[in-house]
Amino acid sequence: MGGVTAGGALYRLVAMWRGRLQLCLCFGAVWVLVQSSPLRAQDRLQIITTTTDLRSLAEAVGGDLIEAVSLVPANFDAEEYQPKPRDVLRLKNARLVVRVGLDYDLWFDRLLQAATTHEIQRGGSGYVDASFGIAALEVRGVSLGAGDGHAHGSGNPHYWLDPSNAEFITANILAGLARIDPANAGVYEANRQAFLTRLDRKLTEWEMKLAPLRSMPIIAYHNSWPYFARRFRLDFIDTIEIKPGVPPTPSHLAGIIEAMRTRGVRMVVREPHEPERDVAFVAAKAGVPVVVLAASVGALPNTGDYLALFNANVAALVAAAAR
Amino acid sequence: MTEALAFLWPPFLVAVCLVGIHAYFGIQVLARNVIFVDLALAQVAALGATVAFLLGHPAQNLATYGYSLGFTLLAAVLLAFTRAWAARVPQEALIGVIYVVAAAASILLIDRAPQGAEHLKQILTGNILTSGVNEVLVIIPLYLAVGLVHLLARGRLTRSGSLLWDFVFYATFGVVVTSSVALAGVLLVFSFLIVPAAIGVMFASSLPRQLAIGWLAGILTSAAGFAASFAFDLPTGAALVCAFGSALALAGVVYPFIRADRPRVLRIAVAAIRWSTAALIAGTALQLAAAPRADQPLLDLLEYAAPSLRNLYFTNTEAATWRDANEYAERHRLAAAQLIELERVRRTQGDTLSDAEMQRISSFLKSYAEMRKGEQFVLGEVRARARERIHWSLALGLLAAALLLAPLPWRRLWARLFRQPAG
Repeated sequence: MGGVTAGGALYRLVAMWRGRLQLCLCFGAVWVLVQSSPLRAQDRLQIITTTTDLRSLAEAVGGDLIEAVSLVPANFDAEEYQPKPRDVLRLKNARLVVRVGLDYDLWFDRLLQAATTHEIQRGGSGYVDASFGIAALEVRGVSLGAGDGHAHGSGNPHYWLDPSNAEFITANILAGLARIDPANAGVYEANRQAFLTRLDRKLTEWEMKLAPLRSMPIIAYHNSWPYFARRFRLDFIDTIEIKPGVPPTPSHLAGIIEAMRTRGVRMVVREPHEPERDVAFVAAKAGVPVVVLAASVGALPNTGDYLALFNANVAALVAAAAR
Repeated sequence: MTEALAFLWPPFLVAVCLVGIHAYFGIQVLARNVIFVDLALAQVAALGATVAFLLGHPAQNLATYGYSLGFTLLAAVLLAFTRAWAARVPQEALIGVIYVVAAAASILLIDRAPQGAEHLKQILTGNILTSGVNEVLVIIPLYLAVGLVHLLARGRLTRSGSLLWDFVFYATFGVVVTSSVALAGVLLVFSFLIVPAAIGVMFASSLPRQLAIGWLAGILTSAAGFAASFAFDLPTGAALVCAFGSALALAGVVYPFIRADRPRVLRIAVAAIRWSTAALIAGTALQLAAAPRADQPLLDLLEYAAPSLRNLYFTNTEAATWRDANEYAERHRLAAAQLIELERVRRTQGDTLSDAEMQRISSFLKSYAEMRKGEQFVLGEVRARARERIHWSLALGLLAAALLLAPLPWRRLWARLFRQPAG
């Protein structure tokens, strides 16, 4: 009887110790992992951006001191994103949120309401609207009511596609980071300057590469490219889509094909998530190639960060023009 | 114009092919009372394609099509079994469940394979306008083969009760729907399936006659839909769906005249038209009396059709203000259009506009939009005031018109009111 009790107690003791031992091993492993990285993950500033482009730019400014996560995965249409439960959890730990603004990521407002942190709400120290200071294109008046062309009354929101606008975007991010982490403001400023220097050098290179395409008429599916066109002096003459989400009518399509023939359009631009067949149809009618361009970081395989995005797009355009 | 016509005929050819096979399946679907089975099958096919994506197969690949087909056949097995439960639970209920589960499962999977999201949307929305001869060359042999199977096994397929033949029916239907939905989208395929078949069934009782009427109605309606899409510059798929809806409504109106005692139907129809018009006018009269500044859809529509009607009740000052406001609104629109064009041109020609210049243009555009809004407010206000001035007399006049138009037994009422004391 007593032996059984003693045996039971021993067994319990061993079981207990085994649990602790496993726990210790686990902690040890985590400890080693954490120590080997330059900065422990929990010490990095958690930054939430709505798109991958802003994530890439935030990383350029924050460097190793931050950990940026984009809510919209690469290759998702950010305008039609539906927040997931895990997004609310991510916002809980976020010290800084960075959004596109200009009515591009309207769903983010609802998500922010669900978050309890006060600082990241609109107007808080951890809230950054990256569009601040940008000279918006295609402003059509107050945002109420549908205008013609793009649905965004407050301007076309694809402003990150002008590399020069990165100066404003990174300035907004820098201001936000300096507010929540003033001790490292100098590091952030230095990171931003280094990035802008690199960007400036690349910009000259891209402009040189795209110079032969100046004024070359191009057709796109969705009106994502006015900023890109303005910077690199490209001529996007029309879009296949009449308005976002409205498929083309026969005469609109006929008009596009007519314009492609008379004005000598050399290529049709499509984003990876846009209807393949409609674009191929138009391109085939005029006998020109389809160019798949990424409007966001990560939308195509070789567009891992902000600079790579433009590298890939410029290369694709140059290749198509050479055909 | 000829350009548009030149590429309207291939999609029209596609529409004719789709009407050809779907009118037949529609009659079967109506007879089996499984109206929404095409939606369920299309969604299951889309689920199959999503799984293929998840496994790394590109779009428009044989493997992707294989997965679509495999899932469709699985759904066909399920659908064949639903008849066994139909005695207690309507088949439509089970079809609905297959539809929603397939749709939800695709959403869950797409969360893991984002590149499939847009493709899934395309599988289900289609765009008939950009389909062409290549597609026709694929679907004609496919539909002929399916048609042949059904012709050879028509006795077993049409009045079947066995599991195997039910499966054959749903499997062939699934193959057809999978290909047609990708071309024309769910909404249009549903119209192709149900409307010609319903019209055929309405006016005939033997299958060949139903088919002939359905085909004729379907092809004529498609032609009308394409013509409307061309003439009024409308997205083609949506225009076609509305054309099919109108065709069914028209058939519904014509039906009683053919089937029942004609004079009586005519009498009822005239009475119905008079009642509804009278009710519409009386409603407008009441709305005008109660809230003269609120929306007046009937009056607005009349004024839109004949703007000179305004001269009947506007004073000279009001008419002048109206003209001015209209003119200014147009002027602001033109000024804005000029700025927009300037900005477009300067993207590629001359020096680029600096950011400061760009911001100035934007603020001008905003101002023009605001000013146009202001003029539109003036237009609304002038009209509201003019209507307010005349609202009692107009409301009474409309009410009187409504009473006169309503098919009330005036003679009998008159007799009862005034002759009774004498009698």
